[in-house]
Amino acid sequence: MVNCVTAHSLEEALVLRKNHELIPYVGGTDLMIHADEKSKYLFLHKVPEMKQIVEDDDYIRFGASCTFTEIIEHSLSPKILKDACSQIGAPTIRNVGSIGGNIGNGSPKADSALICMVTDSKLRLANSAGERIIPIKDFYLGHKKLDLLPDELIVEILMPKNGLDNYYHKKVGARNALAISRVSFAGIMDIKENKVKNCATAYGAVSDVIIRVNSIDNMLIGKTIEEAKELKDAYLKAFDQAIVPIKGRVGIEYRKDVCMNLLRDFLEINGI
Amino acid sequence: MANEIKFILNGQEQVYDGNLAARLLDVLREKFNLTGTKSGCKEGECGACSVIIDGKLMNSCLIAMGRVDGSTILTIEGYSETERFLALSDAYESVSAVQCGFCTPGMILASESILSSNPHPSEEEVRIGISGNLCRCTGYNSIVKAIGIAAEKGSGLW
Ligand SMILES: Cc1cc2nc3c(=O)[nH]c(=O)nc-3n(C[C@H](O)[C@H](O)[C@H](O)COP(=O)(O)OP(=O)(O)OC[C@H]3O[C@@H](n4cnc5c(N)ncnc54)[C@H](O)[C@@H]3O)c2cc1C
Ligand code: FES
Ligand code: FES
Repeated sequence: MVNCVTAHSLEEALVLRKNHELIPYVGGTDLMIHADEKSKYLFLHKVPEMKQIVEDDDYIRFGASCTFTEIIEHSLSPKILKDACSQIGAPTIRNVGSIGGNIGNGSPKADSALICMVTDSKLRLANSAGERIIPIKDFYLGHKKLDLLPDELIVEILMPKNGLDNYYHKKVGARNALAISRVSFAGIMDIKENKVKNCATAYGAVSDVIIRVNSIDNMLIGKTIEEAKELKDAYLKAFDQAIVPIKGRVGIEYRKDVCMNLLRDFLEINGI
Repeated sequence: MANEIKFILNGQEQVYDGNLAARLLDVLREKFNLTGTKSGCKEGECGACSVIIDGKLMNSCLIAMGRVDGSTILTIEGYSETERFLALSDAYESVSAVQCGFCTPGMILASESILSSNPHPSEEEVRIGISGNLCRCTGYNSIVKAIGIAAEKGSGLW
């Protein structure tokens, strides 16, 4: 009875993925909730290319199989990512759950994916024919629908190195540590010499996918604080229309109100 | 695609040729008769099934067998033969941190996991360390206290 296999290199993983119908498995913290003994898993926790955290000129590159604990403990990880990862589950979940699994499950509640979205990170996807790099925003097509071919794997997450220091991150849930976030918000405001160099916001657990609307955030980019203040009402109104919550366990209106309140707080803290 | 895996379980090498998609929790309890690892929620929420794999605390209910190939696994049975266990056990007893006992094996391994990476944790660090281990009986304060006592009295062990 052969049902599962462990890959020891990326090349091996991609060939196995191509030739067999296997489910990518890193930590199993999503997959094993509904464990089915007939499942055929491709274990990816020993693929060296997917376990490293390195930097190049523009990006910190996180291997998709890196666990939250490994990310929290690594000196290259930006504070915004460490912060979000520290609030995921409990130590037992952080010790096995991976950033690639968090993105690969396609959930709008995924906490590390929220940070990848607000930072406009990119994904390196590969199959045995080659690789492509896409903005993470394009990866999410709809409810649990991903831009991932049947023979592809997420190999790395490329997170921009600079401009992430002034961030705001809040997770509003029923219980503090264990509950998967009900509403989560992340914002980045990069202000240089009284001018907004970058403004980015992302909203988790409120819609089918994590919401990130660059065109609205762009309204404030390049503006002085005073100009941004004048645009504030129009900016808030645009997001009020863009955030269309799905029916969840807590009321639709509640989720949306929380989002809008967090957004206002984020602006106020930054003097806007 | 060989279907045989090897791992070290409580100090002994084991060869396993069963279903690699099975939960480690079930295999520990049913094949190895290690019933100190408790089966609670099977959803990663309660921590009763906690074991230490390659030095890290994990929920055995969420681990497929294939994931432990080449790993070193410590369950409460293996841990109970150590001096560190005795220090924790004495401390738990001294403040009545065990009531029904269902959470205790997982809680003890969570305690080990906290102290092995941080021999003198703050109360806050202890609470974070046991945040994945639910206890329905004690209200946690006695457990937090016990871990503090073990850290103090067992100084040098960790
Ligand atoms: C008790 C508990 C608490 C939790 N709390 C939180 C929380 O607070 N916040 C949060 O965001 N999540 C939480 N989760 C969910 C889960 O832990 C995370 O989503 C985690 O990141 C999943 O990673 P994994 O490695 O365990 O994924 P796995 O279960 O191994 O995989 C998840 C999915 O991704 C796919 N996948 C994995 N790797 C790849 C790859 N390289 N390429 C393509 N597809 C891939 C898998 O096929 C699967 O569909 C919690 C889970 C539990 C059980
Ligand atoms: S049985 Fe594994 S966490 Fe509850
Ligand atoms: S002592 Fe009963 S659950 Fe903890």
